[in-house]
Amino acid sequence: MRGYPIFLFGVFFLRLFLPAEENQGKAWELPVPSNPKELLEIQDRLQSLLPKVQGALVSIEANDGAGSGIIVSEDGLVLTAAHVIGKSNKKMFVRLPNGKRAPAVSLGGSELSDAGMLKITKAGPWPFVEMAPKGSSQLGDWCFGLGHPGGFDKERGLVVRLGRVIGRKDETMRTDSRLLGGDSGGPLFDFNGRVIAIHSRISKKPDENFHVPVESYLANWEFFQNETLFTMEKMEKGGFLGVACKEAKGGVRVVETIKETPAESSGLQPDDLLVSIDEQKIDNREELTILIASKNPGDEIKLEYQRNGKSMSSKIKLGKRPDE
Amino acid sequence: MKILILLTFLVYTYSHAEDSDDNTTELLDEKFRLNGLSTQDAFGSAREKALSATVRLVRNDKLIALGGIVDPSGYVLTKASDCVGAREAQTSDGKTYSLKIKKRDEKTDLALYQLISDKDSFPVVQWGDENSTRTGSWVLSSFSKLEEIRVGVASGKPRKIGREGGVIGVILGADGDSVGGVRISEVVPQAAAYKAGLLKGDVITSVDGRKLKSRDQVAKIVGKNDPGDVVRIQIKREDEVKFFNVTLGHRSVTFDLFNRNLQMSGPVSKRKDNFPMILQHDLPLPKNSMGGPLFNLNGECIGFNIARVDRVTIYALPAEQVRETLSKFLGK
Repeated sequence: MRGYPIFLFGVFFLRLFLPAEENQGKAWELPVPSNPKELLEIQDRLQSLLPKVQGALVSIEANDGAGSGIIVSEDGLVLTAAHVIGKSNKKMFVRLPNGKRAPAVSLGGSELSDAGMLKITKAGPWPFVEMAPKGSSQLGDWCFGLGHPGGFDKERGLVVRLGRVIGRKDETMRTDSRLLGGDSGGPLFDFNGRVIAIHSRISKKPDENFHVPVESYLANWEFFQNETLFTMEKMEKGGFLGVACKEAKGGVRVVETIKETPAESSGLQPDDLLVSIDEQKIDNREELTILIASKNPGDEIKLEYQRNGKSMSSKIKLGKRPDE
Repeated sequence: MKILILLTFLVYTYSHAEDSDDNTTELLDEKFRLNGLSTQDAFGSAREKALSATVRLVRNDKLIALGGIVDPSGYVLTKASDCVGAREAQTSDGKTYSLKIKKRDEKTDLALYQLISDKDSFPVVQWGDENSTRTGSWVLSSFSKLEEIRVGVASGKPRKIGREGGVIGVILGADGDSVGGVRISEVVPQAAAYKAGLLKGDVITSVDGRKLKSRDQVAKIVGKNDPGDVVRIQIKREDEVKFFNVTLGHRSVTFDLFNRNLQMSGPVSKRKDNFPMILQHDLPLPKNSMGGPLFNLNGECIGFNIARVDRVTIYALPAEQVRETLSKFLGK
């Protein structure tokens, strides 16, 4: 350890010391609370945020089921789970915390991430909450979930649960905030009162549950609003490129090209950064899949990408997804 | 030198976290999670108070419930319907005591036991005001082995929970006068009617001697009885008339068999209805750890856990209700 390069200390000050200064006194930004005073700060913060966000929670009532959702715009756009809406353009009702019902219609979503969207069809203004910008939630962040498990219950009211972000993988956020099936579509908030994810699935372990990160909605906003639900069936039958990618800044990065696919024959290589398809910027992996599989096998796309920092472009004829 | 090592370590872990834009799952260290050991430690004296005033009630070497010490002479309150036949109690210091049942209360499902001992200095719960606990307030209880606690928040409004009557455990078809009764379209496996021998397709014509023509009538008359009560059901099976005595089951337990959510919940309390008032919280405690005290961040007892409802819901009787019942038990 002796004689460790000095520049690391520079890195240390930039990365750790400065943020630590800014965060001074915020118990929910520490790696872990260490005493009752800090726990009380977390409790106070949670209880001060609840009245600001709970008015925008809705219970969703459709003929064939119920779930939860959260209003994110004054004109009544609601984020929920794809499995709560089921399909596009379906009439349903939302119920606000005060018990009032309003008509709504399902818009789009994606079965890949389980993101879903609907719109209240009665004129607003509706109470709404802010969505966290892309990349703002980190491992270990404190978060709280709201929902109407089992449907609207006036005596019980909405249900609040506290937890932390315990993992992220692909199109999924994992928390130890507890969930029951009927919570589906309900919001997960950060400790700034912004939506960071939507409740999606439970696991056998009560302390590990799955949520759709808000990034999925942000990346596919227009597609979802356009009343299109991206289904697994569409993914199987739609156009196919043949790349495995990972999330990256400014696009998605190729990890591998699959043999005997359009990706390989067009000369794409690992480490290429895919930037846009037909002038549509690619924000995350799910959007890449949606953009490609929304086309048909045989369609041609214009793919822009960067290789070693150099901008490249090529026209690629999409193929058909292999059967297995 | 120590500091240097620590700093370089921090730099390493920090940059590692930031550079990882790949898809391998990075998981939060278990001890930092909501119920991780580091988080539990932050509760400090509240944690110690919860552990020392909670006891394990044991039957045939198996944990059947937790309880809370409410008097220095060793009086323990617990959930009555879960600890039938409890013989022994273990405290967090590892000692075991024989138990004696003193009182039971049907309304609250609380029971009073006594630890058999000359000791007159058992650590007792300190009562708090449950009204200081709002939605989002921290709550905690001892976990099953009395080595750890479980923490969470008050998660819904305090309220009364209504009574659920007993059920025979069948799904009834549409009302049909043509058959002169109500047809059974499904018999819940292992439930009351199934055990008594009723079959899918049987037509229920009367319950306890009262003739019935609609689904609602069946549900109403059966539901007037409690789980454990016996009803006499007359049915028509093809051209035969038969009578069955059916010992009613619990609604929640019976129909949970059909509910996927609850299948993933693990066992829930048999009695989880008909409470005068409850606090709702989300502590991850199993069914055999009901009956113990619930604390706030100050380590004050704000209630007793009285029912595990599903994988995320526990009902606790508020301290006020518990103390009222305790006074009644002690004849004060």
